[in-house]
Amino acid sequence: MCDVQEKLIAWLDHELSSDEAADVDRHIKECSECRRRLETYKKVSETFDIYCDAVVAAKTRPRVSRWVPVLASAVVAAVVMFLVLPQRRVEPPPVLTPTVAAASVPVPAPRAEEPAPRNPIRRRQKVPTVEKRAIKWQPTEAAVQIAIPAETMFPPGAMPKGMNFIAELSIAPDGSVQQVRLWQ
Amino acid sequence: MSEDSVPLALPLLRLAAGSSEVTTLYRELRKPLLRYLVCLGLSSDEAQDVVQDAFLSLQRHLASNGTQENIRGWLFRVAHNQARNRQTSYHRRFSEPLDGEMDFLADDATPEQWVLEKEKFRRLAAAIRLLTESERECLLLRAGGLRYREIGEVLGIAVSTVGDVLERAIKKLAEKCNV
Repeated sequence: MCDVQEKLIAWLDHELSSDEAADVDRHIKECSECRRRLETYKKVSETFDIYCDAVVAAKTRPRVSRWVPVLASAVVAAVVMFLVLPQRRVEPPPVLTPTVAAASVPVPAPRAEEPAPRNPIRRRQKVPTVEKRAIKWQPTEAAVQIAIPAETMFPPGAMPKGMNFIAELSIAPDGSVQQVRLWQ
Repeated sequence: MSEDSVPLALPLLRLAAGSSEVTTLYRELRKPLLRYLVCLGLSSDEAQDVVQDAFLSLQRHLASNGTQENIRGWLFRVAHNQARNRQTSYHRRFSEPLDGEMDFLADDATPEQWVLEKEKFRRLAAAIRLLTESERECLLLRAGGLRYREIGEVLGIAVSTVGDVLERAIKKLAEKCNV
């Protein structure tokens, strides 16, 4: 065991008298073990110093900053929910005119009103089925035309006999009625 | 820590109106004092209060022709005693590990460096927890740049004791940390 071993930290801190410091100077030139110890003590001191800075940095950082990312994510999530969910829930706009609704001719397609009430309850299951139906519908029946005899809509004699109105229903990809055109 | 944080503006002005010497000391020692107090376990706000009070005490001390020797040790002693009065269990808070708080690492540190550093500090935090209160205080004051004589004055212990305590503390940390 080296005599100066107990003085190494004081030597590092320049706390030794000049005589004692000279002894340590001489010793560490010859003793690799004490040089290694000195190196370790230096490293520990430096690490402790950085640790103190980290403690201060952690404690003095504005507290709100920790929550900013969380709040930002929450806001983004909320915005996404508002943007996405209502679109899925949205009911096809009731564009059908009273004249069409009053038509006596049976409507071949499921009407827009039909899936709407069940949507909020069975949305998760409902969405894919709607899309499936849309796939089935889209290529063949993008529009449906319904012939409506004029005498079903007007009092007898008001319109010439044998006259028909044509109601054309444009079908959206999700199966809902997008547009109704009525012509003679 | 912000140089211009609002709570510090007022005493700085008051100090400036008093003595330029105190103002110089304030600029020089405010940060080391804050660091010491925060590391002892005070909150940032508490530490700022204590530093302000310590400098106002210093101004009164100098105005009443108090000793002008070793002002740094005097300030640390006043701050240390105030901290003790405010927070009796500060040592527990100082040894809290710094989970996820390693923002002092350079931005360009690689993930490997980051993990290694974090592990090193985790071990150090664990080792600090095993130190006695006196060892911790001596180390903190030493890290604040105080000489052994000043540390002895702050803590009310002999200079030779400071040397012994520091040696014991650093050897403990070296043994546990394996830096």
